[in-house]
Amino acid sequence: MTTPFTNSTLARPGSSATRRNLQQGITNRLLDLLLIVLVFLMIAPLIFMVVSSFKTGREFVNPTGFFPEQWQFGNYREMWRRANFGLYFRNSLIVCSVTTVVATFFAALTGYALTRFRFPGSDLYGLSVLGTQLIPGTLFFIPLYLTFVWIRTTFGLPLIGTNLGGIVLYIGFFIPVSLWILRGFFAAIPVDLEEQAMVDGATRFQAFWHVVMPLAAPGIVSTAIYIFLTAWDELFFASILRVKTLPFGLLLFSGVQSSQTRYDLIMAGAVVSTIPVILLFLLLQRRLVEGLTAGAVK
Amino acid sequence: MATTPTRTLTHRPGIIRRARRNRIAYAFIAPAVLMMLLVHVIPSVQGIYMSLLDLRQATLRQYLGAPSVGLEHYQDIITGFFSGRGGANIRGLSQATRNALWFTIWLNVGTIGLGLVLALLLNRKFRGRGLARTLILLPWVVPSFVAGLIWRFVWLQRGGLANQILVDWLGIVDQPIRWLLLENTRWALLIPAIWRSVPFTALLLLAGLQVIPQDLYEAARVDGANAWHRFRYITLPLLKPSLAITLMFGIVFNLFGFGPFNIATSMFGSTNHGKYAELVVPAIARQTFSNQLYGYGAAASVLVMTLAMVFVILWYRVFRDTLRAE
Repeated sequence: MTTPFTNSTLARPGSSATRRNLQQGITNRLLDLLLIVLVFLMIAPLIFMVVSSFKTGREFVNPTGFFPEQWQFGNYREMWRRANFGLYFRNSLIVCSVTTVVATFFAALTGYALTRFRFPGSDLYGLSVLGTQLIPGTLFFIPLYLTFVWIRTTFGLPLIGTNLGGIVLYIGFFIPVSLWILRGFFAAIPVDLEEQAMVDGATRFQAFWHVVMPLAAPGIVSTAIYIFLTAWDELFFASILRVKTLPFGLLLFSGVQSSQTRYDLIMAGAVVSTIPVILLFLLLQRRLVEGLTAGAVK
Repeated sequence: MATTPTRTLTHRPGIIRRARRNRIAYAFIAPAVLMMLLVHVIPSVQGIYMSLLDLRQATLRQYLGAPSVGLEHYQDIITGFFSGRGGANIRGLSQATRNALWFTIWLNVGTIGLGLVLALLLNRKFRGRGLARTLILLPWVVPSFVAGLIWRFVWLQRGGLANQILVDWLGIVDQPIRWLLLENTRWALLIPAIWRSVPFTALLLLAGLQVIPQDLYEAARVDGANAWHRFRYITLPLLKPSLAITLMFGIVFNLFGFGPFNIATSMFGSTNHGKYAELVVPAIARQTFSNQLYGYGAAASVLVMTLAMVFVILWYRVFRDTLRAE
């Protein structure tokens, strides 16, 4: 009910009940105030981003106040046109959605198998999946690039500079962590139900798909959001494989080399890049928070 | 978990049979294994081999057939780090390593400190608690490349939000600070990184706080323990598993991952983050690219990976009992 901080005075014997209540009330209000200040500090940069995106470029360096003198709604239209934003935005949506669906599915299959079977190599596999997270991207980006080039020339699959390349790459990238998030969820689902289903004639895959997956829905949702948010933010490998997603596009647009001084347009681009993930988060945050913290607390 | 020799012996004849019996399990993990082989394993093995080669722009066409240099890259990097000598690359890498250590220490101090305060504040009963939690999580949802762009303008010398607050509103500082210059860039990178890591840390710690049984506090209060004692002897010990996991994330993702890279790259508008703000992985990426030293870059990456493994093993040894006690 109350944390150690809230009523520090309670323990002191001898003070009257009313004084105690008063002190406790004051302490609580002070803590509320501290929380409000901290929350404000956390979201102030975001408010700053949104407000600034309506300023003129000149107002950035010669500020007249926190708010723009005149709200420049045209910034967004101009940014969209000049940064070729539609292309990057569409690519990001395609790459991240497809990656999310496929990677979640693959991770679910694998997480399920690891909790239901003890097969030769299962422990080794579980550990090596974690091990991949310790490999710095700088170790393998050149071989990865050359492998993708080789696949392109040998099998004719266009993996460089295309959305397909980004999708293949990210599916591989995000399976390991997703697998570990999902594994905990599958482990918590009793095996009786699927065994019953299989006694009734379902195959193993049908039992997994129709019985276990619905039960693991909270985990599936939080894994999917995790993948989407992370893929949306990937910059380094996107620039290596020249996948034209938002982080890459916005870096080109805002980079020093492009001598881009239209700060207002850059901010408008930042706002639009954030909208999809914020929406996704607000819609599904309850599930996400439950899912991500379930593993940590058990 | 170590199997005794006798057990292994009795199991060995059955391995093939067991594998065959688990055919369905292999079918389930096959897609993930294939993707992992394609994206992680095969390229990393090549990368490790590359670290033994004299692979530069001139020899890239030969790729894995480039002349071997043995452990020379490793030797150069390690001796360079401890002696302070060596070429510009080696010195840059040593500097980046020191930057990264400084950065990681302060990042974790800041993140865990602030995260703990927020978690304790949120773990009370009050109206608007759900709203407060949502708002606090927002910086974590914002992509890190967007975070970098926001802070580029927060740090602007003229008209940036930071200088506006410090100079115009509060009047703490007389002259506008040039945040994106020399030593100041350390702070210009650290603060956004903390800002973006605090929400998730607070969330994990809050989850840890919520499972501490309340009657422990009641009992302690009856026994006359004050707020500090209750925090010190109940909250902190019971929060240790959550703190251990937070520390692990905080170090592995920031020291060896690309989170700070994204922030810095969009904040500075280039992959060159300067002498004071460049961390290890971004430094390796930049040197590999701009100087086309592919073998050297791979060797540096292997060293970073080794450090990461050593760290994880140390972490596990320190917190093993904590994590098991759950």
